[in-house]
Amino acid sequence: MRPFLNFGVLFCFGCQLLNIVVAEPVEDFAFLFVGDTNTSAYLGASQGLIEANAQGEFLDTSYELRTSSASETPNFEGIAIVAAVGAQQLIALAQGFPDIAILNVVQAESTQGEQCVNNVFHVAPSAAMIADANSQWQKVNPGSKARAHAWHASFEKYAAGQLNIRFRKQFDRDMDDAAWAGWAAVKLLSDTIVRQPTLSSRQLINELKTNLAFDGQKGLDLSFRETGQLRQPLLLVDGDQVVGEAPVRGAADSSNLDSLGIVFCPK
Amino acid sequence: MYCRKFLIVTVLSSCVAFLSALAGAAPPKRIFVTNELDNSVSVIDGATNSVVATIAIGNRPRGIGVAPDGSEVYVAISEDNAIAVFDPETFAVLRLFAAGDDPETFAVHPNGNIYISNEDDAKASVINPHTGELVAEIKVGIEPEGVAISPDGTRVIVTSESTNMLHVISVPEHKIINNILVGARPRAATFSRDGTTAYATSEISGEIKKVDVASGTIIGKMPLADDKAKPKDLLLSRDETKLYVAGGRANRIFILDAKSLEILNSIPVGIRVWGLALSADGTRLYTTDGVSNQVSVIDTVSEEVIVAVPVGKAPWGVALYE
Repeated sequence: MRPFLNFGVLFCFGCQLLNIVVAEPVEDFAFLFVGDTNTSAYLGASQGLIEANAQGEFLDTSYELRTSSASETPNFEGIAIVAAVGAQQLIALAQGFPDIAILNVVQAESTQGEQCVNNVFHVAPSAAMIADANSQWQKVNPGSKARAHAWHASFEKYAAGQLNIRFRKQFDRDMDDAAWAGWAAVKLLSDTIVRQPTLSSRQLINELKTNLAFDGQKGLDLSFRETGQLRQPLLLVDGDQVVGEAPVRGAADSSNLDSLGIVFCPK
Repeated sequence: MYCRKFLIVTVLSSCVAFLSALAGAAPPKRIFVTNELDNSVSVIDGATNSVVATIAIGNRPRGIGVAPDGSEVYVAISEDNAIAVFDPETFAVLRLFAAGDDPETFAVHPNGNIYISNEDDAKASVINPHTGELVAEIKVGIEPEGVAISPDGTRVIVTSESTNMLHVISVPEHKIINNILVGARPRAATFSRDGTTAYATSEISGEIKKVDVASGTIIGKMPLADDKAKPKDLLLSRDETKLYVAGGRANRIFILDAKSLEILNSIPVGIRVWGLALSADGTRLYTTDGVSNQVSVIDTVSEEVIVAVPVGKAPWGVALYE
């Protein structure tokens, strides 16, 4: 492209415009994974990266996933952070990087303090969401031993089966809750970035809050609440089988994801 | 004009019949429906709208298409990793050929070749159905699903569900010439007759996108304004003024203005409607209502369901034999 453009400057009044139209440089985006890389959360994020780059290949966009252990203070100037750390460290990261979206992919220890922090997004379901799903399930299936999860390796519906196949093919192990959250974090970031590659990391925070319609391969479009929590269906798992989905039909409107957990920040 | 002259000497019903004959209006001879959970194809008589035969076709039949000359019908039997071929007159299963892992959706090119998406391998394959030969493979995005072919056969669109993209492929080069980002989980696409415009459904974002094929740009979009709408198949009316969209869990067909994408009407059908087929004369629209185990037959003039025909378990795809 370059030689052509340089040559063209001599002859063409519209070259500035032409430059905008034809120049498609490869765009590079860096994510940082904070936490133990010897975990399924990291493998999930790695699967997300593979899929982000599979899409990016068609659109001259590429992504990388840097890593930082939970014990060191990371130095990072990329577009977003995926965190598999405890609640306290999550808040520290949010304060250390106020203009970068921090995506929490493990269920933090408490459910209150880390909600409603401007740049913290919870991809893993909160304890309140899990509790609500369990109680909805018990209402309809009293005595059932099934418990709510974000994901399960035997889930087939909504192309979940395809995602489970891809993960197993790549890592020779089952995709669990944390692996799904790691995958979803990277995938929802790349899905958003690829549509608006000029967003700054700070603008990305707002875009995630207001404009997300993510396909988490769980049947519904997923978006973030004002609390920073990802709205999502949960799976009821008994032993090694998915026996139901929450919101639980009969106990709640099955398409209203806000029947699970806390929806609004305190005024 | 013919009708008016005719009216003078006869009754209105004859006039309508005459008009219909004039326009070549006649129901398709047969409607073939794949029953995903029954391993069968239901054969509906187009004149009586009743099932006249059931063909044992293979395991988990989904996509279905007719050869350009009408001589044979193809069915993707997903769990057999094959496409089964049957005779539309005798219903005899003629042969099978390999079609990659878990074949689901395909389209038949005017030259007779089959373009199929290979969901777990992120590629599309071109197969000669007469020899079973693999003509070409094209690398596409993750979970390719819908396949549409322009009427002149020079362009193919493959939708990648997990990469949220329409890939525009040139034929015969089999090169991707455009990648168009659309809403989450694009499932199906269809071309205008002149091949310049295409429309696509996005299942998870619940919207329709209209694209200019040559430039690869989006020129229109419309959310289906129903949280339950998870659209799948879509088709243009024969005069290309309307777009019919199968609304999935909305349990209805949406009718959009093909130009503005404004929603003009919606027709309640059975539960989880996915498949669509339109008669050659454009007066009959057939839908597969997966959870209701039925095919709804819609009169496109009155925009009402004429009859719901019970078929096998979990009807998926529908093809017409005119």
